[in-house]
Amino acid sequence: MNKRILIALLLAAPTAFAEADAQWILQASTLTYHVSHPLHQTEGVSHAAKGKGVCHAGQCEFLIAVPVKSFDSGDSNRDLHMLQVTRGAEFPLVTVRTRLPESAAASGSINADLEIQFAGQTAQYEQVPFKVETQGGMTHIMGTIPATLADFKIDPPSLLTMPVKNDIPVRVDMTWRPQ
Amino acid sequence: MSRKIFRNRRNGVPGLVFIVYLSVALAPSVVAQTPGRGVLTGRVVDASGNAVANATVTATGMDSGQVRNATTGTDGFYKFEGLPPDKYRLKFEAAGLKTLEIPSATVEGTETVVPDEKLEAAETITAKPTPAQEDNLPNAPSSSSKAPSLSDLGLSPEQTQGNAREQALLDKRTHMLKIHQRMGLITTIPLIVTVATSLNAGGKNTSSASRDLHAALGGLTGDLYGITAYYAIRAPRVPGTETRGPIRFHKAMAWIHGPGMILTPILGIMAFDQRNRGEKVHGIASAHGPVAIVTAGAFGAALLSVSVKF
Repeated sequence: MNKRILIALLLAAPTAFAEADAQWILQASTLTYHVSHPLHQTEGVSHAAKGKGVCHAGQCEFLIAVPVKSFDSGDSNRDLHMLQVTRGAEFPLVTVRTRLPESAAASGSINADLEIQFAGQTAQYEQVPFKVETQGGMTHIMGTIPATLADFKIDPPSLLTMPVKNDIPVRVDMTWRPQ
Repeated sequence: MSRKIFRNRRNGVPGLVFIVYLSVALAPSVVAQTPGRGVLTGRVVDASGNAVANATVTATGMDSGQVRNATTGTDGFYKFEGLPPDKYRLKFEAAGLKTLEIPSATVEGTETVVPDEKLEAAETITAKPTPAQEDNLPNAPSSSSKAPSLSDLGLSPEQTQGNAREQALLDKRTHMLKIHQRMGLITTIPLIVTVATSLNAGGKNTSSASRDLHAALGGLTGDLYGITAYYAIRAPRVPGTETRGPIRFHKAMAWIHGPGMILTPILGIMAFDQRNRGEKVHGIASAHGPVAIVTAGAFGAALLSVSVKF
């Protein structure tokens, strides 16, 4: 009888270990969008992103969300206009989803396929390169997402009748820690 | 096909009841336009049967991993269009109400969409919150290996729920400030010309025609300025917004050019009368020129402060 129990436990053990999936928590982040206008070069920064990664069977699924309101360009009027043109009150979050192999944290760089929801639209970005640095148990990820206003069907806002450029690259600087 | 699901109270918090009336259907017109794609639609109501507006509905494709979001309208209805055939996990989130997740609804492009078994039963189900729902803390790890969701991130309902009223306020504000901006630019033209014509209006050997032209241009500038100011003053304020950055200087300048735009024509009329009587401009009327210059300078500085980065 005891043998049977022991065998059953041994058989169950690998399954139990397999279900102990790793998780990642976004510890700190700086997201910076850049807007070009003939008279201005503007950047808006947010440190308010929250994120989580859940790994299973060697694959990790990540979700990062940042409130649109949290971006600060240093001018409240500009931020309110940004909120308006991006329909930030109606769609208050920017969410980014990606799936990466669990081994990505150990590599020096990754190319991620991103799905970004913003302004009520969803855009896919394939093979976006990110630099990965691991130090003291923390994983530091840096890169730039080549976003454009057209990707999210946002009409370019204008100043003095001159519209901003379509490109709004978003610099990403995130620190993740394993849970 | 309809379905009601009751979530019971948690820790004595009253009224946290979330009923979802879910109907799933295929829209023939959409299928005809995009073969093989379906439509998922439904309605979110509260315990009293009232529509829940601005609830976020997230549909996650079980196979594709594709995530789509929809927001309920004022009637509580939401709609996903052009969904590729897949099984979708549906999540309902609304301020003040518990998050509800429906494990699976199937969308098939050529067949009637069938929700999962639980939804098919036309009966009321009372469910206790799961440990995962109880532990909906910021950055709390998931209790399962499924993909993380917004509720895992510890965002407040205010951060996740859309606010159509606030969006409408922002739209109105931007619309009015765009007019303000255009009118400000237009006003700049007669303002400059008025200042330029002042050279021929105030000297010893000036003609009444020059003074008339200057006065007419000044009047036009004042009228356009009034319209410009109206759209700035009447643009709705967004509650909880602290004024930061160059816009502070822009607004501060209004306290100079605003009174200046009132004072300048008053002093101008006095100076105009004195000159037409053949007198030298004297008394307080002699301040017309300096006040006008300060006013025009403040107006220009206000314009530049939001146009050029210093």
